[in-house]
Amino acid sequence: MGTWFGRSTWVFHLNSGSCNGCDIEVLNMFAPTQDVERLGVKLVGSPLHADVIVFTGPVTFQALPYVIEALKAVPNPKAVVACGSCACGGGIWHDSYNVVGGINALYEILDTLGIPRPPTVYVPGCPPKPEAMMYGVLLARGMVGQRQRREVYVEEVKEVEAPQGVREVVAKAAKAFRGW
Amino acid sequence: MGRLQVMVEGLGKHVVTEAYPWAPLEVPEGFRGKPVIDPERCVGCGSCVNACPPNALTLSDDGRYRVVKLFLGRCIFCGRCEEVCPFNAIKLTKEFELAASSTEDLVQEVRLVMAKCAVCGRPYATLREVRKVAESLPENLKGLAYVCPDCRERISSYFVGFARR
Repeated sequence: MGTWFGRSTWVFHLNSGSCNGCDIEVLNMFAPTQDVERLGVKLVGSPLHADVIVFTGPVTFQALPYVIEALKAVPNPKAVVACGSCACGGGIWHDSYNVVGGINALYEILDTLGIPRPPTVYVPGCPPKPEAMMYGVLLARGMVGQRQRREVYVEEVKEVEAPQGVREVVAKAAKAFRGW
Repeated sequence: MGRLQVMVEGLGKHVVTEAYPWAPLEVPEGFRGKPVIDPERCVGCGSCVNACPPNALTLSDDGRYRVVKLFLGRCIFCGRCEEVCPFNAIKLTKEFELAASSTEDLVQEVRLVMAKCAVCGRPYATLREVRKVAESLPENLKGLAYVCPDCRERISSYFVGFARR
């Protein structure tokens, strides 16, 4: 991820069976209000012309062969921006019968075919704001830094046991009912 | 109307394009952004896990800790977790810049210490939850909170006065 794209970034929108919520937001990104074209990001009609794939949808089995063909067609160096929760981790369809379940599951299929995994930016949201998608594309391009980080909280407690008086009562009760 | 005339008219109008990547964006009131668990308030009761439609929130026990895991890559930002949380521990913020270069960064984990049953020693609930329950119980029944459900079945009659002399 970073400054491979010295020039403007051309984007191909790849729909892998999404509900069209994210697709409308992808098009909003190019509309006058958010106008991402002023930053050199342009929507192209063929994966052969693209640098970045804006990927939406949970990858239905019906779309799978075409998605793989389209990913193979993009020239290197390339990057993928997985837009929406479906593309990031399967979303609401993560355990559905007719989907692969997100882009990481798709990459596992690509591994079996011997196709290298492109660097990926994940943009969660259902759908994400056009600005959030813009942020994702610019992150793939190396123009902005990443804000979202893994957060882990571990509780620290000294006394795990029950209070003294309570423990005695419970022990008495357990003694009275031993063997039941 | 000719094209030139449109351009001349447009000269006096304001610009609609946002200055977004260079200036922070104001999101509208009621926008549902990134859900954040307040680890100080969470007791690990799991009501948000039951309510979550896409199973973005999951609960798992590893002996010592109960892990409440929020995976944003599956979250649909419906806000149900916020509605059901009895302690207002999970809140939807207005943050939307969630793009990350790996799915590991989309995870928030809260690890809460589990209480061990005073009779059999099995971890059965988080210590915070047990203490909250014990607070609400009357003095003579407090011991029942510190016992796991299986043992409670056996010894509860002691507490309600049957075997108490």
